[in-house]
This record gives sequence, C-alpha cells and structure tokens, in this order.
Amino acid sequence: MKVSLFITCISDALFPPIGEAMSQLLARYGVRLDFPKVQTCCGQPAFNSGYWDEAKASAKTILEAFDDSDFVIAPSGSCTGMIHHYYPKLFEHDAALLEKSRRLQEKTYEFTQFLVQVLGVTDVGAYFPHKVTYHPSCHGTRLLGIKDEPMELMSHVEGMEYVPLPYAEDCCGFGGTFAVKMSEISGAMVEEKSQHVLETEAEVLVGLDMGCLLNIGGNLKFQGKPVRVMHLAELLYEGVRNREQTAGV
Amino acid sequence: MAKSDPEFLARLDRESREAEKRFIGNIANRLGRPAAGPAPVHPYRGAPDFWASYELGTEEKIGRFMDNWRAAGGYPERIASMSGVPEVIARIAKERQARSTIRQNLPELANLQLESVLPELSHHAWNGRDPEGSLNICEQADVGIVLADHAAAYTGTIVVASSADKGRSVSLLPNVLIAVIPAERMYTRLGEAMSRVASIPAERFPAGVHFISGPSRSSDIENDLTIGVHGPGAAYALIVG
Amino acid sequence: MSKPQGSNVKERARTALQDEFLIDAVKFTTERLKNGKKAATAEHGNWEEWRERGRQIRAHTVAHLDYYLSRFIENARAQGVHVHFAPEGKDAARIAMDIAKHRGAKSVVKSKSMVSEEVHINEAFEQIGIESIESDLGEYIIQLANEPPSHIIIPAIHKNRRQIAELLSKEAGETLPPETQVLAGFARRKLRDKFLEADIGLTGCNFGIAETGTVVIFENEGNARMVSTVPKIQITLMGMERLIPTWDDLEVMATLLPRSATGQKMTMYMSGITGPKRTEDGDGPEEMHVIIVDNGRSLQLGDPDFQELLNCIRCGACLNACPVYRHIGGHSYPGTYSGPIGAVLTPALNKNAEEWHDIANASSLCGACYEACPVKIPLHDMLVYLRNRKVERGVTAPGEKMAMRGFKMLMGSHAWFERAVKAGQLGQKLLVRGGVIKSRIGPLGGWTAYRHIPALPKKSFREQWTKVTAEAETSFKPMTDEMKSRMEKIVQSRAKGGH
Repeated sequence: MKVSLFITCISDALFPPIGEAMSQLLARYGVRLDFPKVQTCCGQPAFNSGYWDEAKASAKTILEAFDDSDFVIAPSGSCTGMIHHYYPKLFEHDAALLEKSRRLQEKTYEFTQFLVQVLGVTDVGAYFPHKVTYHPSCHGTRLLGIKDEPMELMSHVEGMEYVPLPYAEDCCGFGGTFAVKMSEISGAMVEEKSQHVLETEAEVLVGLDMGCLLNIGGNLKFQGKPVRVMHLAELLYEGVRNREQTAGV
Repeated sequence: MAKSDPEFLARLDRESREAEKRFIGNIANRLGRPAAGPAPVHPYRGAPDFWASYELGTEEKIGRFMDNWRAAGGYPERIASMSGVPEVIARIAKERQARSTIRQNLPELANLQLESVLPELSHHAWNGRDPEGSLNICEQADVGIVLADHAAAYTGTIVVASSADKGRSVSLLPNVLIAVIPAERMYTRLGEAMSRVASIPAERFPAGVHFISGPSRSSDIENDLTIGVHGPGAAYALIVG
Repeated sequence: MSKPQGSNVKERARTALQDEFLIDAVKFTTERLKNGKKAATAEHGNWEEWRERGRQIRAHTVAHLDYYLSRFIENARAQGVHVHFAPEGKDAARIAMDIAKHRGAKSVVKSKSMVSEEVHINEAFEQIGIESIESDLGEYIIQLANEPPSHIIIPAIHKNRRQIAELLSKEAGETLPPETQVLAGFARRKLRDKFLEADIGLTGCNFGIAETGTVVIFENEGNARMVSTVPKIQITLMGMERLIPTWDDLEVMATLLPRSATGQKMTMYMSGITGPKRTEDGDGPEEMHVIIVDNGRSLQLGDPDFQELLNCIRCGACLNACPVYRHIGGHSYPGTYSGPIGAVLTPALNKNAEEWHDIANASSLCGACYEACPVKIPLHDMLVYLRNRKVERGVTAPGEKMAMRGFKMLMGSHAWFERAVKAGQLGQKLLVRGGVIKSRIGPLGGWTAYRHIPALPKKSFREQWTKVTAEAETSFKPMTDEMKSRMEKIVQSRAKGGH
C-alpha cells in the first residue's frame, strides 16, 4: 500500500517541520510515507488568477507524482480542495488527464481526514498543556466539508484548553494572490481576524492550512504579538513527544 | 394626462409581437433549440415532498397565526362569532380616534351594521362603479375593513383578492387595517392558500391578489425599525370562530 | 445619479476603507441580516432541502426559459397586459419613454427595482422632463442624496440619521429632528401625495408566474402596492429570467426569499398582479405594461459555467455573508449590483472583457457566498471562471502575465522548483532581519504592509527528506490489522466505483 505525501509548495519551502510531523505521527501507525519529488505545486495560484495553461503545467507534476499511489495526504484543505473541486475543470478538455485527475481525487485526503476517516484515529495520545484556538480555513470547510475531524482530534489532546475563535468562519483574507492584488482589503480582513485571535487570549493559533496561517501569523508578528502559530500536525506531534518524554520513552 | 390611445397601443403590440419572435428565438437558440419547444417535464414542482404533510390542528393554526401576526407588530384577536365583531371594531375605532371607515362591499361586512354601533363615524362601502369617489373616501378614511379570502398560520398571512366589491385600496390607504378572518378559512401552509388562488379560472382571476402579513414597516434608517411607512401602520386581525 | 470615482474596485475600496461610519454601518447591517437569516432558517428547519428545491426550480425554469417566458407572455397578454421586449437596457428606457410621452405623463412614482437602476430609467425620465420619484424609503433617501444604493436590500445603510434628517428637511422646507419615526412620517405624507398625483407607477418584479401571467412583488413598506394600485398606468420592469412555472413554486420562493434577505418569515406584503384592473374594478391601473429586459442575461444561456447565474432571486444573502463586501460596502463595486452577485453579474452581463476592470478580483474565493445562496449559485467558482475568461481574451496586466509565465516555468518541473527555492534561500539574505522579511519594496509590498514574511529555512522539506524519513523510521510501529483492513476496503471500493 503506497501512501504518498503531497507536501504542498508552501510547506515544502517554508515549513519543513509540518512534513516532519506528519511523517513521525504516521510512522507510529505503521505508515511509511513515500515522497515523490516530481511534485511541485497544485497550481492554485495560477488557476485562481485565471491562468489555466500555467496552472496545468504545475498540476501535471501532481498528476504524475501520485499516479501509482494508493493514498495521497496533504497538509492543506485548500490544495486538497484544488484537486477535488477544480482539477475536473482544469482538465475538462483532456480526457486522459481528466481520468488521471479523477483517480487522484479518489485517493487524496487532507491530513485530518486521513487520520480520522482512513485510519480511524481520533486520539493520537498527545499532551499539550496550552490555551489553543482554531481557525477553520475556508476551502477545507466549504469545499471539502472538513468540520468534525480537526475538532475530534483536538478534543482528545490532554491538557489543552480550547477556546472557540469568534467569527471563526470568516475568511482571513489570504485568498492567494488576492492578498497581494487587493492588499488593502486583504489587510483589513486579516487585521480583523487577528483581533479575534487576540480576543481569545490563546497562546496558540492552530489551523490546517499554511496559507491562512502564514497570513494571520504574519500579521500577528507584524503587530508584535507573541501568539504561536502552528499547523495541527505540528501541534499533535509536539503533543505526542511531550507524552513520550514524560513517559520516559 | 392624455387619454389612452388604442392606436398607439395597437402599434406597440404589433412591434412587440415582432420583437418577441427575435427575443424568444435568441433564448431558444442559445439553449440549443430551434424555437420554443413543447412543455418540458416539470419534476420539481412546489415545496419539497415532506412539506405537504405539515398540518396543524384548528386551535394550533389559530394560535400560530396570532403569534406570527403579533410578532410582526400587528394586533390579533379571537372572537367567538361574527356577532361579537362589531363591538371589537367599535373599540378599535375609538382607540384610534377614527372618524370614518371604509369596508369591502360584502354582505358579511354589511351585516356588521357599523352604522348602529358607531353612529358618530361615517361609514362607507367600496363602490367599484365610482372609482374616483371610492379612492377619495379611502384616502380620507381612518379604518379599512376587509374579509380575508384565505389565511395561512405558518407565516401569519392573510390573502385579500380584488374585485368590483373589493377594492385594493381598502386594505392599503387607511392607516388602520381590520381584517376579519373566518376561522374555517385558515390554512396551515402558505402553499395551500396559493393553490386556492391558482385554481381560479383565468376569466375570473383577480387583478390583484394581496398576501398581507402585518403592518407596513421599514428599517431603512440606520436599521431602526419603524412601523407604518406607506401601508397601514395598525393592522388588526380578527379571527372569528 | 453620481457614481463614485474610478472604475476599479481597488481604488474605490481604498476610499471606503477609510470611511469609518460607512464601514461600521455596513458591518452592523450585514451582521444583523446574516443573524436574522441564521435564526429564521434554523427555526424553519430542513434548509438544505429547501435550498436544493429552490435551485431545482430556478435551474429548470432557466433551462426552459423559452417555454416559460412564452407562457408568461401569453397568459399576461390574455389578461390585458401590454408586453414589451428590451434586448438592451436602453430599449427598456426607450419603451418606457414612448409610453410616458404618448400619454403626456408628467410624473412617475416608482417602487424598488434593481432592473430600473440597471437601465438608468430615472435619468431617462428626467431627460425628457418627467419627474420620477422613488417611493421605497431607502431609495427615496439616496435619490435625494443623488447617490447609488450601497446594498441590494437596504440601499441607504451608508447614511446616518443626521444625514437623512438633513436631506428630508430640505424637502420638507423645515428642520426635521433626526428621529426615525418623524423622518418616516414625513416620507409617508410626502410620498402619499406623489402616489395620488402620479400618472405612471413603475414597479420591479420579483417573480413572474408563467402559468397565470402574474407579476409578484415582495415588500415591507406598502409602496409597491401603492404604485400598482393608484396611478392609471403601470409599467413593470422584469429581468427576463425572473420566472417560476407555477403558484406552487411561489411557495418555495416565498420560503427562501424573505428568510434569506432579512430573516423574516414573510415580507409584510406579497402582491400578485395579473393584468390591469378588470372593467368592473374600482381601482388598479387602467393600462399595464411589462417590459421584459435582457441586457446581457441571455449571454449566460447555453454557457455551462454561467447559466446558473440566472437562478438568482436577488435576496442579498451573499452580500451579508461576504467578508470583502463587509469591509468595503456597496459603492466600491462599479455597476448596479454589489457584493458577490455584483462581482459576477456586472462582468457577465457585459460581453466586453476590457470593461470588466478588476471587479472579479475583489474576492478571496472563500465560498461564503455559495454557502449562503438560497438557490446554490456557485459564485465562488464563477469568479475564477471570469478571471480565466479575461486571461483568454488577453485582458491582463502585463506584469501579472510575466509573473505567471515565471510560475509556469518554475512549477512545471521539480528541477526548476528546487532551483527557485535555492535561489530564494540565498537571495533572501539581503532582506532577512531577525528571521523575518519586512521589506516593502517590490510586488510583495502589498503583503508586507500588513505582515512579516518568515525567512525560508536553510533547507526545504524535500532537501531534508532523507533525514526525515530515516528519523521517522525510529518511531515506526507495525500497522494494526484493523487499520490495514480499513485501508484495503477503501482501495477495493474505489475499484468497484464506490467511495
């Protein structure tokens, strides 16, 4: 059974600890991740801006990379959503690639979906004694319907104090190139989101998408606020290590 | 304003029929058809299937209607029989310091004999043959009285259709609206009332069918709710029976 | 009617973002309406089923618009309606002027109609010296202010009480206090005279019912009833797609529209007007005209990407759900319609992509509009399709085109991607301070104006893969049989066509 990692361009270049966390967590369940280096980017930045030829060039590396995988896991609702929701559109006029993308769709999961739906894991045995709030990314929630999985995983983290984020479902203003093209509007949106995060007085902001977290985290840093921003995979892995250390493993 | 010109209208109608061919032709063409086709199969008609079985009992219906009418800012009342209606109307008229009333020209409303119970007021009945006079009376009247054709409990709505005896202005121009609703005309769902309307044959179909669910209102000024903007500001629903 | 400066959303939004009252008002209003919708739909229950039914009815009607429009026209004519066709907006104005001029009309009183704004009917009347007064309180206010609406349902939310009092005081010829009841009371008295005097009543149309040729109008104030009862002539403007087959279908629309727009179970008035007054009726218009308007709507037909756009019932729920709209308000959108529906409709109705400007870019594609839409229009997808159409027609910013070419090269092969990351790791040394990049120069200036960018780590994830995978091996535990069987079952069900 080939379980492959679709690391996503952002996490590849900017956040290696996320891939590491996924590897480590999954190893404990007997999953050896495969990493086909042919992969670059799902193509979303170009696709969302309307440049579909350019998006296809990028997306083809993804189709190729995971052609013979049985499962593909990505630490991103938005990249997974791109495959599920928009690849059929992108490859509409190319029958062979369309078929490849259909098969890819069937086997690609966002990370928490994989843990909960495929492995049936809801308690990774983590200990994370901090006050945490969660931002549910738009694409993951609205395109993929990811609502319960992260909540279930977080509910079993021992020692964690969960504070709901006010207006959680409001977009953080990332939207990929939107943040650069409509910077003032995006800026207003991320400032509002940061404000809500700060209202919770949480030590940690956790999420499933590094695009959003790069955005919100970047603004919090800009404001000089010491909120720690983590991907849920990182949080769970750190929690597992905490538990293992106290157990003297 | 100049009088209606049949020749002008006939010309417009001719031009319209020409334009229609092109207009509909364009639509059919874009939808991949040569011309407007036969009736399509209409599988999704009306409310979702489970909705048809939503039924309330008589008392529940009336209670629900009254809750909704009240929540919308209207005044609902329950009266045992038509004989109790005149004194309620009299009370309302006095509360509202009314000087005149206008009612639909219906026997049920004539039988209320408001002239006896409110002699100090002037009472009028809508007269379809005197449009200008009736409009003026409506404009001056403080209270408009209608007999609801139908009512729907789920939304707190009454249905008032127009006719020679039932001017639309009666439920629109005076600031106080009194709707008399025989309890047996109360449905649960809005769709039931709509079905009744839809079943009227074309040659008798009313020009105006009005679904009224409370007093006139607006929140256009700083989201601040105000009642009685153009239509009646005081809406009474008298459920009888 | 004056329009805000600039045809770009970006420029207009800049102004809006600085107007604190406007932003507070937009936030307050959209929140109120959004919460109203949430409560009303929860109370009603089974909202997803009703939404799906709404979508089915509207999509079916649009897919057979030739048939249903023909039925509507036939049945309306049978009841005495004069039906007219406006392939373009200016045709609608021309026909209305024709009717008005021929009767020597001096004044028009109108109720709310987005189509009337789209075809600029008030300006057309004014040009030939006919007074055209808005009677909906919000529309009346912005007419006096000579401004366009900032929200589809509540057009004057950008105006505060004092501003409204000033406007109405000028009309009144006396100072009115900034109290809602007083101001509304003045509008009622003033407009009552207009209703009684006007030669023509102009209305919009929420739905045309094909089976009886009925025009259905939803409202709360009663002004649409006035406009369609008192004046001798009625002109109704109807977008050609605003049809439903039967009165049964109206129940679905009456369930979806008020709840989605304002959170009401029903609007105070819903009127079904079928033809002018009957001979024996004492009131109602003697003459009734319905002008059916295309103005770019038919462009969506037969286009699988945009045909569903015509499902729209103009409830405004997408405006209330949109985080972008909430921050910039209705005036930031050029054209008649604002919010997500406006961002799609304004370009979609216009076949010249050069005139679209940046309106389809005013979205982070969060999908809240689709989630809110009672007839399930995938506006978030349509915005991407519009962006693609622009690119295909060569309407792009040159800098962006080049950047995308660069993207294609760098992401087209992993070798180039890896080179690019390496180049970034080396090149950033000039910009990195304390682990972050704050520099505002260059194309990323828009980003760094609000955020710090973390420095690229010395090694990317893939550069560390060998190490990562070796370390993960030390934590490896064999997979349980249960998990193995779960995974196998999933793979098998795929082969069978399941999952």
